[in-house]
This record gives sequence, structure tokens and C-alpha cells, in this order.
Amino acid sequence: MSIMEYNGGSVVAMKGKNCVAIASDLRLGNQAMTVATNFEKVFPVTDSLYCGLAGLATDVITLRERFRYRVNMYTIKEERQIEPATFAQLVSSTLYERRFGPYFVEPVIAGISKKTGEPFIAAADLIGCLNFAKDFVVCGTASDKLFGVAEGLWEPDMAAEDLFETISQTLMNAVDRDAFSGWGAIVHVITPEKVISRTLKARMD
Amino acid sequence: MDHFPLSWGRPRNDAVDLYSTYPVNERQRHGPKNDAFTDGVQHTQQPIVTGTSVLAIKYKDGIMMAADCLASYGSLARFKDISRLHSVGQYTLIGAGGDMSDFQYLQHLLDDLMIEEYTSEDGHKLGPDEIYHYLSQVMYARRSKMNPLWNSLLVGGFKDGKSFVGYVDLLGTTYTASTLATGYGAYIAQPLLRRAVEGRETTMTEEEARAIIQECMKVLFYRDARSLNKFQIATVTERGVQIGDAISSETEWSFAEKIRGYGSQTQ
Amino acid sequence: MALAQPLYADQHRPIQHQFNPYAENGGTILAIAGKDFSVIAGDTRQTEGYSIQTRYAPKVFKLTDRAVLAVNGFQADCSTFVKKVKQRIEWYRHAHSKQMPLKAIARMIQGMLYGKRFFPYYTYNILGGIEEDGTGAVYSFDPVGSYEREACRAAGAASSLIQPFLDNQIYFKNQTPAPGAAPFEPGNLPMDTVLSIVIDSFTSATERHIEVGDGLEMFVVVAPGRDVAGVQSLGAEELPALTPEGERIFVLRRDLKKD
Repeated sequence: MSIMEYNGGSVVAMKGKNCVAIASDLRLGNQAMTVATNFEKVFPVTDSLYCGLAGLATDVITLRERFRYRVNMYTIKEERQIEPATFAQLVSSTLYERRFGPYFVEPVIAGISKKTGEPFIAAADLIGCLNFAKDFVVCGTASDKLFGVAEGLWEPDMAAEDLFETISQTLMNAVDRDAFSGWGAIVHVITPEKVISRTLKARMD
Repeated sequence: MDHFPLSWGRPRNDAVDLYSTYPVNERQRHGPKNDAFTDGVQHTQQPIVTGTSVLAIKYKDGIMMAADCLASYGSLARFKDISRLHSVGQYTLIGAGGDMSDFQYLQHLLDDLMIEEYTSEDGHKLGPDEIYHYLSQVMYARRSKMNPLWNSLLVGGFKDGKSFVGYVDLLGTTYTASTLATGYGAYIAQPLLRRAVEGRETTMTEEEARAIIQECMKVLFYRDARSLNKFQIATVTERGVQIGDAISSETEWSFAEKIRGYGSQTQ
Repeated sequence: MALAQPLYADQHRPIQHQFNPYAENGGTILAIAGKDFSVIAGDTRQTEGYSIQTRYAPKVFKLTDRAVLAVNGFQADCSTFVKKVKQRIEWYRHAHSKQMPLKAIARMIQGMLYGKRFFPYYTYNILGGIEEDGTGAVYSFDPVGSYEREACRAAGAASSLIQPFLDNQIYFKNQTPAPGAAPFEPGNLPMDTVLSIVIDSFTSATERHIEVGDGLEMFVVVAPGRDVAGVQSLGAEELPALTPEGERIFVLRRDLKKD
């Protein structure tokens, strides 16, 4: 079995009108056995930028800390908050550094630019190939299901509440058909003013 | 539980096929591995003397098919004057890629079939559609015996005012489209054929059809290392099957002089 | 634990390259049941590897005036299987002087699939139509004959993209009715809604799956006496009925992206 599916888990991010959303499931597995149902895979980077990491759990934690370190160094050196597009490049170069011995993690990035107020989403593969999508990005063991549902439910220019419903429905219906994802979910909707974080009541089987 | 009666009462090997889920033909047998006949029965071969691509298109008056005259033995250009196009009755043409001995077997099979049909005197004549379905049944039956006829075949024809082209292969897979190509032709010629033919099946003249087929055969000769610049073009129209003499394309190799960077010339 | 070893790793003979009798020819099929109708759909692309073999290879077939079979997987097995199903339905008609009921076709298909349990047909089947009680029905099968009656099912290359979408839109999974509203009842949607969901499913699958596209064929089987103005107004072609029992079958065609 692939090492990318060892712990399971999925992340999705979507763009709306002046808002973005990012969501993950909460399962941590050891192959087919579920060992925890509180394993969040989305982490704050700044107050308007979040990063989701799906893949090998040990690498998820390592990378979370490496990103925290590198973002702190950036903030100190530059004396300003990192922009979403800049952070995407930071993620890409961090992963490509390990081109021939990669971290087994696929990152998803969602945020709003402090400079322009533009919503931003991106995803990368495990060696840092970036994908700047206009609509939505997905990763993890339920990625094919996420693609199918998101392609059916997403529409352009949704307001924050509609975006929340869309990303929640997308994630829950996708992970309910995936044996390695699910067991609860968490959603963050990022607007220029605030971040709304909600844990969802989902199927626990 | 092993549900297969032949295994009952024999020692079981739990390391392999614990739940008896392997198909009978590939399951590990206990006791003596071979009987006296095992080595005498030869199944699943590999292609030996092979032909490469075949092309076929529909056009205004019927269908056109082309194949080169080479039968290769691995990378050796072994036979350079064979015909891979074969007529079946007065309405149908088949073209073959893959194993040439299997193709010759099919030629005999189809010739025998046409004799049978002729002698039955039932007032019916087999057209391209019938030959296509007959061939697909033969190919599928052989693949199901794990003893395939190693060919990709194109069937083309014209009967009762209707053009027909179809594809059949060693697995019994079938399909029809207005342009068809087997082997490397599927990668190299098919895009060119689709661009030239799609939407023009009922208006394209024989001259235009011949031009695009010749162009494709030339491109295939440039890029397919198992091809030959000596090929036949055949048509099936109202006038019946016409398999042309072997012809060749004008080729241009002066550009090869300027190629640098690989092979023996690195400067 | 013993290490896995290749079958026939014989001491005396080298391991032979084995002929693989199967291929995978892409495409996707889908069926949704309504109260008094059933929609059975499939795309028309046929592929092998990264090549498009043809842009029009039908995967959905009319069996009787009230039964339609969609079949997907290995094309040679698919067409053989459909041929044999049609043949046995004709034998049934000659033996019993009536059309074979849908649930009988379903059980027959399970028998035919399980009959090749040790050299399976590599086919995913979805049977749709009208039951004897006049209800719309969908039966789905796995390649060795496990089957079940459902309200909807997707199968084939993009099944993992479409099925969770249908869970949401047809079974109302992860949705709760508004306070005071009637509870959801799957398999009860109006026909125009069902057809929109089918079209949306295939355009979505075409967008994200390379083996899906070119064309879409939707067969609509309608119970006796039901109003058919809706499906006719969409430009559906009616297939001629063999018997005057009242069920009607329409075919709706749509283009899908060809890239």
C-alpha cells in the first residue's frame, strides 16, 4: 500500500466572492484502523492564511513546524506578514528541497491577500509542483471523490455562508465514500474581517 | 473453504491462495505439476513475424485502406513483399497488423467461410458487417481459451450503398469510427486522419482520400522503425474491392545531414 | 509468514510471460430511479490507455419495452454479455409468451455473471426500467453477480467522482429538511430534476476524468400512463415498442467535451 495512504485524510479549499474556505477531515488512521478522531490537518499561518496538509501524519507535523519556523523567519527578516502567494512559493521550495527523498504530504493553501484583498487558493504535489486554481483544490485519500462532488456543487462568486455550505457538503459527501477519511470535519471560512471556524457533525463510521 | 472439487482431499497450501480465489487456470496445483501432455500443448504464444500499422477511412464513394508490404522478424526486415490486405468476397476487405501466420490462418478461415456461404445458395451474400462480427467472435473465442490470434485487424467494406470500417483485435475488442488506425498508426496517423476526414465522410473525393492516406503512410515510414516505404492502397466501392499495386512515397532526407547532438555525431 | 511467490515459479521452467485476457476501456455509466420512471445513462467514449479508440461506442442498450442495460468495463466482455442477455430474454419470450419482468432479468444477470465466477466477465452492469408494479427501478451488479435494487448508482471509470455526488443529490445524504418540512424521500424526484443531475454528473466527470467525454446517451423508461410531454419537449427520440403494454422508452442525446 502507498505511503500516502498510510494514515488517511483529505483536505479541500475553495474560492468565493471576497472569501475563501479550507476544510479537512479529522481522522488519523494506522492503515485500516482508526486511532484518533481529532487530527486536524489545517493550520493557521497568519490571521488570513491557512495551510492544509494531507498525507503521512509524521510529515504533516514535521512540515507544520518547518513552515511555522520559515514563516517566523520571513516575518522577522521582512518585518511584515507573509502574503498567500509568497507562502505558496515557500511551500513549493521547501518541498522541492527534498526532491529525491520527499515528505509524503500534499499541501493545500487558502488565504486572502492583505495587500489586494484578493482571495487565493493553491495546492501542490509532494515535491512542490504548484497548482493555482480559480475554483477549488483538493488533496488526500478522497481526492477523486472531492473532485467529483466539488465539480458538481461549486459555482463562482459565492458569499461566505454559501461557500461554507458548499465546502462542507463537498467534504462530507466525499469522505463518506472514502474508507480512509472522515470521522468528523473542520471548516475555516476566511473573510477580510474574520475567520469563521466550525467543526461539523458528520458520520462517525 | 476451497470450493473447487479438484482440490478436495489434497494437501492445502495456506501461503498461497488461502481462500481459493484464483481462477482455475492460474491456480497452484498440488501433487505432480505436469502430466505427459503438458509440454506438448503450446498455448499463449508471442507474435513472431509481424506486420505494423494498418489505416482505414471512409470517403464519398466507399472506404480506403492502406498497409505496407513488410513482415518483420523482430527488428529484422524479413519479408519485404507481402500483402497485408486481403479481400473477402466482393464487398469486404481486411487489413492485418500483428502476427502474420495468425493472419494467414484467418485468411484461410475466411476463404473457407466464403466457400461455405457460396455453396449454400441461400441468396444471401456476406457483407463487411457480417465479416466483422464473425471475426470478432473468432478473436474473442480464442482469447477466452487463453490462446489468442495475435492481430489487430481492420475490416472495411461497401455494400448496399453503405460504407463500413471496423476494428477487431486479439482480445476481441471491437469498435467503429470514420477513421481507424492500428499499431503505431493509432498514435501517429490517427490524429492526421481525424483532422482530414471527420465531418467530410460523404463529401471527400477519392483523390483527397488517397492524398491523406499517402501522407500518413509517409509520416509512418519516417517515424515507425518497423515500417517500409512500399505499401498498398485498397478501396471498396460500388465497383467492388480493388487492391492496388505496391507504391512508395517521395521522401526527403537532406535534413538528416544537419541533425547534431545524438548518435555518432555529437558536434 | 511465507513470502509471496509468483504462481508457477517452477524449478524447471522459467516463469512465462502470461497473456492478459482483459483490458479496460474507460467510460462511465449511471442510472437513477424515479417513482414511475427510470433514467439509464452512459457516455460514448471508448479508450485504451491514453488513446481514444472511438467517440461513439454505445454502452446503454434496450433489452425489452421496460428494461434497459448499461454495461461498462472490458468492451469485448461487455458486448458478449449484452448479446447473451438479449438472447436469453428472447428465449424467455418464446417460452412464456410474455416479456421478461425486470426483477427476473436482474436475477438472470446475477446467474450469468456468477456462472463465470472463475473467469469473470470484467463488466459492471446497471439495469434500469419499470417493475411489474409500475415503479421505476435500478439494479446494480458487480462483475461476479452481487446485486441490489437501489435508487441510483454510478459505475465505471468516474464512478468515484459521481457516486458521492449522487449520495448528496439523490439520497440527500448530509442534508436535513428545513424545520417543519416533510422528510426527504429518495427515488421520488421529478424527471426534469433527475435529468439535470445526470447531465451535471457527466459534465463534471468529463471535466476531471480523461476517459469520460464525447457524447452522452440517456435512456428514459416511462411507466404506463405517465405524462411524457416533459421528456418529449427536451427533444427525445422514442424507441418503438414491441408490445402494447404501455411502457415507453425515450433516448436523449447530448454532446460532451471531446478533449
